[in-house]
Amino acid sequence: MFKKILVANDGSENARKALQKGVDLARCLGAELHMICVEEHLPHYAATVGEVLEEKAEEDSYFAQVVREATEYARAQGVTLHSLVTPGHEVETVVRYVEQNQVDLLVIGFMGHSRVLGRVMGGSASNLTRLAPCSVLVVK
Amino acid sequence: MSETYVPFVLFVLVLLASLLSLRLALSVAIVEIALGVVAGNLFHIESTPWIDFLASFGGVLLTFLAGVEVEFELLRRKLKASLLIGGFSFLVPFVAALLYCYFVAGWDLRAAEIAGAALSTTSLAVVYAVLVETGLTNTDTGKLIMAACFVTDLGTVVALSIMFAEINWWTLVFYAVSAVVIVGGPWAFRWFTRRYGGRVIEPDIKFIFATLFGFMLLGKLGNSHAVLPVFILGGALAPSFAKQRDLQRKLRVIAFGIVTPFFFLKGGMNISVSTLVTSLGLVAILFAVKVAAKIVGVYPWARRYLRKSAMYTTLLMSTGLTFGTISSLYGLQSGYIDKSQFTVLITVVIATAVLPTIIAQRFFQPPLPEAKVATEEGSAMDTGQSEP
Repeated sequence: MFKKILVANDGSENARKALQKGVDLARCLGAELHMICVEEHLPHYAATVGEVLEEKAEEDSYFAQVVREATEYARAQGVTLHSLVTPGHEVETVVRYVEQNQVDLLVIGFMGHSRVLGRVMGGSASNLTRLAPCSVLVVK
Repeated sequence: MSETYVPFVLFVLVLLASLLSLRLALSVAIVEIALGVVAGNLFHIESTPWIDFLASFGGVLLTFLAGVEVEFELLRRKLKASLLIGGFSFLVPFVAALLYCYFVAGWDLRAAEIAGAALSTTSLAVVYAVLVETGLTNTDTGKLIMAACFVTDLGTVVALSIMFAEINWWTLVFYAVSAVVIVGGPWAFRWFTRRYGGRVIEPDIKFIFATLFGFMLLGKLGNSHAVLPVFILGGALAPSFAKQRDLQRKLRVIAFGIVTPFFFLKGGMNISVSTLVTSLGLVAILFAVKVAAKIVGVYPWARRYLRKSAMYTTLLMSTGLTFGTISSLYGLQSGYIDKSQFTVLITVVIATAVLPTIIAQRFFQPPLPEAKVATEEGSAMDTGQSEP
């Protein structure tokens, strides 16, 4: 059914639930499990390199922990997790990854911006659901 | 607005800028300039002597931080290509903007020279952020672009220092002392930090600040600008700084926390929205002049040294922000340009930070790297190796 599953993980509580669901599905279906963490807070149009370096170091350290925990969890469930941490725009990067890697199912937590911003820009979850060229499971 | 309220209002804006910057993943500098526009045009806040002081020091501190970011090893390895790409990236836009402003826009020579300096720049920081995001920092393309940026920056600070210097005895003293400080600086800095570093009262940071204020004083007495020696001193201290991550971080915290916000806010406060509306045509033309001149200056060399990513390189070399702002504010403070010319220049500078970046990211995006199975050490970080 689904041969390659991708979980988008920003380290939030809802993303953790998505990971658990992704691991369960991968185990039941014998699918390959991927996880992508997008460093989306790097400053665009920075005034100094230091501004980028400091933010990148913080994001790297945060997501290293997210990857460690996710890998341990998946391993405990008998699933191998392929993970990637990369900078970029959250929705755009996840969609590119799905396209590039022929992912069958994208699993995401119900996440995203505040209500106000979400109404203006569309929440990350709704944008991913709309733009991803594969089935999308939104976990609540 | 009464001067009593100014510090409070500006600091609320500084705080707001940092929150918006985090929320929108935008450089705090851009947000500070935008809020500066609000402060100047909506609240009618005018600059005060303490804002001028912090802004002047902010420009010098930003120049020093840019110098500290220079990787001489990288420059040495890519010397010929970076000199050609970076050199022409400075020279052609400098001449083109100067000639356009002088002969077509009718600016006087001093104002046209400021325009040349402001629009000749390439923003290493903007470029670096794009390279990180596209995963190209460790590729040949990324390294050569960064090395070329250092050369372009150097061209801009040399131009600012030389063009506007009115030589007197103090100028000679300024350059002689600068040479001594730059040569002896790394040794003195190592000795000082070994002897006094790592203490809560931060003598090492004060040592750097005292040196920078010394440059500012001598630059003023010598009717010159401190940017050149400050940039070179930063470069000379770069290897020492690279080994002292804690000190580097403290310096950035002080810079971003209290000093540079006022530099960018002041930049924004001097933008006149009404002038901007009536000068949009000139803004568009100067933007086109800068980008066209960058294409003429950079593209042929980029094709020679980075054939596959020549246009990507050219677009990134067309970006500008910090040195463009420094040049424009220097011109305004020194009376070489008026507020309307400043408004035009700073708008073009910001446009060049944004538009070429968006185009480069949109059309020259390399593929994402493969996901990896994390090891016990846990790294699945993308270091990025593929060329665009």
